[in-house]
Amino acid sequence: MTVDKQTEEKLIALLKQKINRQLLYYLDICARCAICRDACHQYVATKDVHYLPAYRAELIRRIYKKYFTRTGRIIPSLYEGKEITDDLLDELYKVTYACTGCRRCMFYCPFSIDTTWVLSVAKTILIAAGKGSPILTELADAAIEKGKNIDLFKGIMLDILKDTERKLQEKVGDPKATIPVEKEDSNLLYVALSGEHTILPAAIIFHQAKENWTLSLFEASNYGYFLGDTAKAKTIAQRIVDEAKRLKVKEVVVTECGHAHRVFKFFYESWAKEKYPFQVSSILEIIHRYLKEGRINLNSKYIKEPVTYHDPCQIGRNYGVFAEPRDIISQVSADFREMNPQREKNWCCGAGGGVVAQPDLDEFRIKTGELKVKQIRQTGAKIVVSPCENCRLQIETLNEKYNLGIRISSIMDLVAYSLLIPREQS
Amino acid sequence: MAEEIKVDLELNLKGLLCPLPMVRVSQNIKNVPVGGIIKATATDPGSLADIPSWAKSTGNEILKSERIGPEIIFYIKRIK
Ligand code: SF4
Ligand code: SF4
Repeated sequence: MTVDKQTEEKLIALLKQKINRQLLYYLDICARCAICRDACHQYVATKDVHYLPAYRAELIRRIYKKYFTRTGRIIPSLYEGKEITDDLLDELYKVTYACTGCRRCMFYCPFSIDTTWVLSVAKTILIAAGKGSPILTELADAAIEKGKNIDLFKGIMLDILKDTERKLQEKVGDPKATIPVEKEDSNLLYVALSGEHTILPAAIIFHQAKENWTLSLFEASNYGYFLGDTAKAKTIAQRIVDEAKRLKVKEVVVTECGHAHRVFKFFYESWAKEKYPFQVSSILEIIHRYLKEGRINLNSKYIKEPVTYHDPCQIGRNYGVFAEPRDIISQVSADFREMNPQREKNWCCGAGGGVVAQPDLDEFRIKTGELKVKQIRQTGAKIVVSPCENCRLQIETLNEKYNLGIRISSIMDLVAYSLLIPREQS
Repeated sequence: MAEEIKVDLELNLKGLLCPLPMVRVSQNIKNVPVGGIIKATATDPGSLADIPSWAKSTGNEILKSERIGPEIIFYIKRIK
């Protein structure tokens, strides 16, 4: 069914705003060579043409042809132009919100076509048509609501942190160890995820490194980014940027969360049209820095079971951090085994891009995690390490569904545990 | 008192990490009628701020929340 005239005009106007050299290049240059077909884990696992990267971009290309080329306007059917209908928007939804944003297709494409970039245009159109992902919208709105009412939640959060602080003191054997919050002039503001599991190991590491740090009141994850709503994504990230400025910290350190780190490192400054007065780093880089500076020392090769490493797409292929996690793991593991392929060519776990939060994609992500399962099995590893919460959630699901018999760990947990071993043994 | 609240659906969210407690509540709110109540038990401390924020932004209501040991219990009323 054709959408109503008013909606159609609104969507065309929106697409017009989005047309720039980059988009035109992507829409024009695709040679339909289909190299990207074998690069996308979703196509490889399902053989469904909808998940072929070039096909996903093709839907935007068809709309563009229909409304912005003379030939497309006159004889759309001949020139593959497609008018905007509900069916087309539904198809666009299916191919867009299923994409994990892993950019493996771009890595293999001879013209470096960034399908996720084209799909960010698709997300803008879908949101304007009232067809953005409902659950990602709810999660983004909840984060914004939390930001507005932070004073309401601060008391509860500080109360919970007291429990975590007690655990920290016990673990490090120091009754004065703290988890500081809102501490001005700290060297770094650590941005964790909701829940204790990303706070306690970091607090142990900071304590051992004698770091002057403070914990952010906000969680790193940004569902506005997955939704494709830049205004919401900016509002969510801004809560942390404002906090960092207010506390006058030198560095914002993002926990093991691939997309959150990418938002702060690559996107926020251009969204907000401002330059940060601080540096942004991943906790991986901080741990690596402490090791190089001798501020922490790991218990060498304490893990005897075989360990493998999953490169999160947003930290590996899309940010370029490959050496640091391998360096850290090799220090604590006596038997480190690489997956094949790895680094830039690593297969996506199957649940990035907000896929893990969309219940209607639960079965799909289990199916499209097949390649990751095969890779893990081939290593024979008993422990899979990955510095991204999203990847770990997915690998845990795969472990359960495919009976992998593995344990999943963050880098922080490996490091924190290693730092505690001498004390716990004594 | 918890006994005074008539619960239509109980959700076990124990062990789930963010965003899954919110996702499961969102999924299940459709399974109770308007005016119906979900009792959700989570263990993720983050849900203490997340679930009320979700309720406020979606126009639903937290009738009551309580912490019993590591468990966080919410009574969520579907408003629309
Ligand atoms: S690999 Fe690149 S050029 Fe080839 S079909 Fe895919 S997107 Fe088009
Ligand atoms: S970004 Fe990843 S999931 Fe999305 S189309 Fe490309 S290869 Fe497939």
